[in-house]
Amino acid sequence: MSKILSGIAGFFKGEGWSRYRKSFRYAFYVILHPFDGFWDLTHEKRGSMAVAHTIVILTVLTHIWDRRFTNFMLNNTRWSEFSIWLNTLGILVPLLIWVTANWCVTTLFDGKGRFYEIYMGTAYALTPYPLIGLPMILLSNVVTKEEGVFYTYFNTFALIWAGFLILCAVLMIHDYSLLKGIVVILASIVGMAVIMFVCLLFFSLISDAIMYLVSLYKELLFRIS
Amino acid sequence: MKPIAKRSIALLMLLCLLFCNVTPAMADDDDWYTYTYNYWGDPVASPNAYAVTNKIYPQYIDPELGTFSSATSLFCIDDLVFICDAGNNRVIELQKVNGTYELVRIIYSLNVSKLVAPQLKFKDSIDATLYNPMDIFVKPITQADRVANFGTDYLGDPYDFSAETASVTQGNSLTTSDEDNAGEGGEGGESGEGGEGGEGGEDAPTPTPTPVAPSERKENIVRKDLKRDYDFYIADKLHNRVIHCDYNLNVINVIRDPQDDTLGDNYVFNPEHIATDAAYRTYVQAAGVVNGFMEFDKGGSFTGYVGAAKVIVSFWRKLWRKIQTKEQRNRSAQHVPTEYNNISLDKNGFIYATISALEDQDIWDGTATPVRKLNSMGTDILIRNGSAFPMGDLSWGSVKNYAGASKFVDVIAFNNDTYCCLDRTRGKIFAYDFQGNLLYAFGNGGTTRGRFSQAVSMDNMDEETILVLDGTAGNITEFSMTDYGKMINEALALYKTGYYDESAEVWKRILQFNGNFELAYIGIGRALLRKGEYKEAMGYFESAHDSENYSKAFRHYREQVVEKYIVYAVVVLIALIVIPKIIRKVRKMRKEIREA
Repeated sequence: MSKILSGIAGFFKGEGWSRYRKSFRYAFYVILHPFDGFWDLTHEKRGSMAVAHTIVILTVLTHIWDRRFTNFMLNNTRWSEFSIWLNTLGILVPLLIWVTANWCVTTLFDGKGRFYEIYMGTAYALTPYPLIGLPMILLSNVVTKEEGVFYTYFNTFALIWAGFLILCAVLMIHDYSLLKGIVVILASIVGMAVIMFVCLLFFSLISDAIMYLVSLYKELLFRIS
Repeated sequence: MKPIAKRSIALLMLLCLLFCNVTPAMADDDDWYTYTYNYWGDPVASPNAYAVTNKIYPQYIDPELGTFSSATSLFCIDDLVFICDAGNNRVIELQKVNGTYELVRIIYSLNVSKLVAPQLKFKDSIDATLYNPMDIFVKPITQADRVANFGTDYLGDPYDFSAETASVTQGNSLTTSDEDNAGEGGEGGESGEGGEGGEGGEDAPTPTPTPVAPSERKENIVRKDLKRDYDFYIADKLHNRVIHCDYNLNVINVIRDPQDDTLGDNYVFNPEHIATDAAYRTYVQAAGVVNGFMEFDKGGSFTGYVGAAKVIVSFWRKLWRKIQTKEQRNRSAQHVPTEYNNISLDKNGFIYATISALEDQDIWDGTATPVRKLNSMGTDILIRNGSAFPMGDLSWGSVKNYAGASKFVDVIAFNNDTYCCLDRTRGKIFAYDFQGNLLYAFGNGGTTRGRFSQAVSMDNMDEETILVLDGTAGNITEFSMTDYGKMINEALALYKTGYYDESAEVWKRILQFNGNFELAYIGIGRALLRKGEYKEAMGYFESAHDSENYSKAFRHYREQVVEKYIVYAVVVLIALIVIPKIIRKVRKMRKEIREA
């Protein structure tokens, strides 16, 4: 976690900018040469946390812009129930849980990756989503409904691509075989469910406890006055 | 003393708080009397398209009428209303005169000539009474047509019911009470005092709850002697027949005992709803028949089925049946095609039919259709272009302890191809246009004006008046179309006949009454689309979430934009290619000049 923060700080130090541009360009290399790319990303230190953050932010923005600016023929957003914050959290929270769950699982299954490396790898793997998603938003505004299938196809393709890249990232960062990688990903998904369950349990218990205290306080006031 | 007082006051306040919470729960019911659904499937308030103008209680029309007992059907034609009061084994005829309803006659039994009499044989005697008449269809027919199609033989010597009585058992000594003769009119000639059928009420072969069979031949009560060119088709359910008679109640023909291989040996014909088209084909919805409507020709012989509903078996059910053992499979409910529950004809003779025995999920998916329009081949030709399928309520939240899809029990088709469906369980009426868009829904469960305990049947008197029969409460509600409803009809009619601009004007007026009405936005958008104002049309379609029409408008708009700017685009493109070349050439020439 401290690495993530230091990544932000590192950007503002000296040679940050040229390194940033270099590792940003490297993202395009990674998505086209995933095995090679993800290996060098961590092992040769060619990735940077700043770029990882940028890609995550771009992903969030693409998701929101997709809801906002996609032509309404292809966009079933109900504005009265749309929230930017919920959509932002809808990307960030699963990402954080995924990284946490994957880190937990791989630590047990002797994975080589560290927490920040998993985050970085996942972020780089998300590159196709803004890369394809942003032009598709523009495209959606100049097509008719029948031509809109391209929009759907390309966006689906972007998601599949990103999914494949995440698999590659897990394999390379932790130095796993394919089978082990898939098992670890499935275990991570189960881990995500467990984390969410524990969080829900925690919050509902906490809220119950708070409710109890509040009602106790009210009752006391009632008696005293 | 003091703390006790304090405590009791606190308790009282707490109790107040308790009740305070309860009262606001039942709010603004009336604001939501009429509504539509928006694109998202949420109910949105609408002005009233129909308003209650009369509530008819039979006991206030004529003391002779008493109350209804499980009335099942209502039929309106011109100024007459026919009600099938099944539980009382009678059909009631009312006439609307200056806005009030007056009794014309109460029909208990029919007149039979000696020639037709054998066809009315039930058990072992001739029985011309009605036994649980479920439905009546009234068909306008001129005397000439009647003679041409059915002859005049049926009008022969009247059958003598008193002679029959003598020959049959005298077991039941019931006699007609005097009051029944009170209003006897001209045509009830052959008095059949005690013309008792062989069946007693207790051994009737019918499912529970069994209406009591007419124990004697009751004379009809006639208040008015009208002359009309109508024929009646009466579904005399528990006598297992459909009776065809003229306006003077002389039986012309009887449809009974259909013969077909698909019907089992011990099949009992229990007709429930009927309709007869211009070619004198009679369509019958009979209890337990799952192959569609039974079709009978002019002479009353069975010719086949129309519009068999196809069996819908979901994937999971199939899988489940594979897993089940044989005994379990036999024990679980047989999956048979669904039964129709009502029928009505539109002005062109197409059959509108309703089905209520459907799975909610199938209705939602559109694999099951609660309302259908059948052509003569029995194919469903109802247009379902609305944002949702015509299925009644879209939000199935629990309303008055009922949740789930609407159950349509009746349908009426208007001359402008709009149709109304009656939902039994929530007591609501849903009006759809010819494209299957919901125009408005109104009604509710309850007993006050405009609400129904159990709506069972409805019909339209003219294009702007609807009567709804409440089977449980035993009354009839008359709805008349408001100006708002008339405007919608006007707009639809103008659009259908090609007056797009005029229809757009009306839609704009409708929007002033109801900004929630998406169909109005689409109507205006369509008119603009026809006029070629694509950009404006797109705006209206977007307001109504109509992506299909938006796409059409957008295609044209895109063409316009491309045509407008294609010249500039080409010029710019050429410039981008040519200018660098010229520059290069100029540079080259300069270089050559310098070197030279």
